[in-house]
Amino acid sequence: MIRSIQLKNVKKSYGDESILDGLSLTIPSGKFFALLGPSGCGKTTILRLIGGFETVDAGTIYLGDEDITDKPINKRRINTVFQNYALFPHMNVFDNVAYSQTIKKVDPATIKEKVFKILKTVHLESHAYKAINQLSGGQQQRVALARAIINEPEVLLLDEPLAALDFKLREKMLIELVDLQEKLGTTFIYVTHDQFEALTVADQMAIMNYDGEIEQIGTPKEIYEFPNSSFVAKFVGSTNILQGIINSLNGASYMDSGDLGNILIDISRPVTLSGRSQSNGPEWLKDGQEILLSIRPEKILISKKPREGFSNMLKGMVESIVYHGRSTQYNIRLLNNDKLQVFEQNEEHFPQEVIDYDDEVFVYWQKENAVVLER
Amino acid sequence: MNSIARMRSLFGMPLFVGLTYIFLYIPIIILVLFSFNSAAFPSPWQSFTLHWYKELFYTSQLWHSFLNSCIVAFCATALSLLMSIGLVFYDLKAKKIRSYLAFFYGIVIVPEIVFAVGLLSFFSFFEIPLSLPTLVVAHTVLGLGYAVPLIYTRFLEMDRRLIEASLDLGATTSQTFFKVVIPYLKPSCMAAALLLFIISFDDFIIAFFCAGSDAQTLSLYIFSMIRAGISPVINALSTLLLIVSSFFVVAFCSLNNRSRLL
Amino acid sequence: MKEYLRKALRRETPFFVGIPAFIWLVLYFYVPLTFIVLLSFLLHDSASLLQGLTITHYLSFLTYPYVWIFLRSLFFAFTVSCACLCIGYSLAYFLAFKAGRFKTFFLFLVIIPFFTNFLLHIYAWFFVLERNGFLNNLLQFLGIIKEPLHFLNTAGATLVVMVYCYLPFMVLPLYSILEKFDRKLIESSLDLGATAWQTFTRITIPLTISGIQSGFFLVFIPAFGEFVIPGLVGGDKSLFVGTVISTSMLGAHTMADGAAFTVLTGVLLVVVAALLLCVIRSFERKGNV
Repeated sequence: MIRSIQLKNVKKSYGDESILDGLSLTIPSGKFFALLGPSGCGKTTILRLIGGFETVDAGTIYLGDEDITDKPINKRRINTVFQNYALFPHMNVFDNVAYSQTIKKVDPATIKEKVFKILKTVHLESHAYKAINQLSGGQQQRVALARAIINEPEVLLLDEPLAALDFKLREKMLIELVDLQEKLGTTFIYVTHDQFEALTVADQMAIMNYDGEIEQIGTPKEIYEFPNSSFVAKFVGSTNILQGIINSLNGASYMDSGDLGNILIDISRPVTLSGRSQSNGPEWLKDGQEILLSIRPEKILISKKPREGFSNMLKGMVESIVYHGRSTQYNIRLLNNDKLQVFEQNEEHFPQEVIDYDDEVFVYWQKENAVVLER
Repeated sequence: MNSIARMRSLFGMPLFVGLTYIFLYIPIIILVLFSFNSAAFPSPWQSFTLHWYKELFYTSQLWHSFLNSCIVAFCATALSLLMSIGLVFYDLKAKKIRSYLAFFYGIVIVPEIVFAVGLLSFFSFFEIPLSLPTLVVAHTVLGLGYAVPLIYTRFLEMDRRLIEASLDLGATTSQTFFKVVIPYLKPSCMAAALLLFIISFDDFIIAFFCAGSDAQTLSLYIFSMIRAGISPVINALSTLLLIVSSFFVVAFCSLNNRSRLL
Repeated sequence: MKEYLRKALRRETPFFVGIPAFIWLVLYFYVPLTFIVLLSFLLHDSASLLQGLTITHYLSFLTYPYVWIFLRSLFFAFTVSCACLCIGYSLAYFLAFKAGRFKTFFLFLVIIPFFTNFLLHIYAWFFVLERNGFLNNLLQFLGIIKEPLHFLNTAGATLVVMVYCYLPFMVLPLYSILEKFDRKLIESSLDLGATAWQTFTRITIPLTISGIQSGFFLVFIPAFGEFVIPGLVGGDKSLFVGTVISTSMLGAHTMADGAAFTVLTGVLLVVVAALLLCVIRSFERKGNV
């Protein structure tokens, strides 16, 4: 049976520095949960508290109905995959993976069976008797994984496990991890500062800010498309933030952004701030309210000629162009000297319109593709 | 975790360690305390006095042997260090001599008493009279056994790219040696010097066999005093030496922080 | 010609700078050692003239009293090493893992004896254990005993003082290795269900074998040749290898005898040390066999 993890009002400090101050979080059972945040935000601390490597200063941790706050590391039904794998250098692959079973004094025949079954799952059967230092980084990572899951834990904690691997290998391992989680049904809690990883693997994810607070929880799509703060909008992916004051004219809502004029906005989707009191739609978004507008670069279109049929259009000049392979990034300077980033997908080998440095361009987007933010 | 297990883990080890420290220091503390006792042994504590320290200062033989120890230690340390650095210079400029390093390990592996006996027979065969120089020679060998592994391995751990960068910027190998390698090795050299000095100063076994009758070192002097029985003067001497050693330890530890010898 | 010599000299400078260390090593270390080996085989007649080679000196030491001395010294050295290992490991473990902010202070306390003349330490114990010394006076004062006890001149005293003097030699290499130990390995073991003791025996000890090795030999080898401590504190003056060597070299027997005994000691030590090395190494497991 897989139970959920709950942290209630957890406080943790190191010396004078407070890392977590009354944090509460529920991680649903059986899902791949990602905890994303900048380095030093406390996400690893949360993981270590759940694993039992650190004790809370205040608050409780529950596994289902069971209070595991004071339970020692080796008694929790939780296992960890460490960032640098922490494989035992004096044991070979087999012994490393079998370790937890050897401790429990399972009989050798069963151990052998279990170990090989697990090794097969991670595609390492032929390396069973190799020494650790004979394996590549990716292989070591899989041994660390195998060693943790052979125990059939209810929760698997992964602390930036792919940080030491190169890009291509990381992509491959991420997919393998997702498949593994689906197969096992165990709750995976994955901590990372890399948003690409988090978006790829997570069923649900939480974003933490520098102060050790959770900014938003949701599915990757919810978080990416509908961030509830500029921090989340900027941390996950890139975005453009414009500011202004709400103004309604003739039943339509505008953001008065000074020199850029009035920008049409869509306030039909209310934005909520998780963990704080809910700010509800129309009441909050009233005239005179200062707001931020987040528009993702890929949602903005660019061309040298003005086009009809779009809610908003601005004029600007191309400052720099960065070629990214599948897309091209244009950095535009608007009329009020604000900067705007635009991604255009390189759909064709020979595009009809070529945009160059110092060109005067028009950028436009539909109002539904921008997100209104309180802060 | 049940409370008994928790108490055991909380108090078990610290208790054992605490007892060990007490074991290590009780004799010393007693020693120091009684150096101030006004009554000679075997009487128990009477009153506080510095009388024995005064007596210590007036013992000329003590100062003579102290001076001998200092001279020998200083010479042995200087010689060992210079030769070790010379080795590094050779390695940098010419060939790698890493494989020959093992020969120096022999010095630490062979028991001091065997080495001392060997030197004794060596000197007596060639009819070299035993005196301070023979002792310096012996201590230098000992010093090499510690200095060469310490300094040379530290040199081997050095990031080669520092040397490459120096050459790339136009320096000759000699200039690189003096401007890059030596500064890098300075903390290790200083820590090694301290260690060597102490090893030579505190040495007894080699002095016992290889020092002549006119080359009495402090260790030999203390030995003869102890042979004569306990006396508060020895207590006084011990206390003083302990204080001096403490300073050396502080110096060594602060150097260790910078050069990671331990 | 002169120019050629000067150039050659400059080119070879590194050699002249680097060679002294080796010359010193060979001349004043290896030659003397070879010397006593050679000396031990020499036969002198009553007029101290060289007769030839012989092994009689060795044979004279393969008799009962000397074999007993060897065994006794071995036993002492081994016991002292084991005691130092147990106490030293705990101390080093405490320093590396549990001392926290006071680490430097406690380390300081361990190193001080290391830097102080060991004769003073012997004297300190002498002072404590002597017939009119501190311990006896205290016990008499407390009324626990009436007559002073004989602490000195016993095997026990020798053991205690030897452990006392050699303990820092064990602690320092162990501390050095434990300090660099990857804590995550311990956490990982606990995470996988092992108890603290299982973690210690299965993970910590096998991975610190090199430290145990260094420490063990830094104690065992000198302890085997020790003669000062038994001489001052142990009483029975001739029951140790070291004492025999010192008396034989400095007086009683001929030089050749002393040399033979010394060589014998050296060889024996090497053999025993090699055996112990194998035993210790067996506790270290590796990858595929």
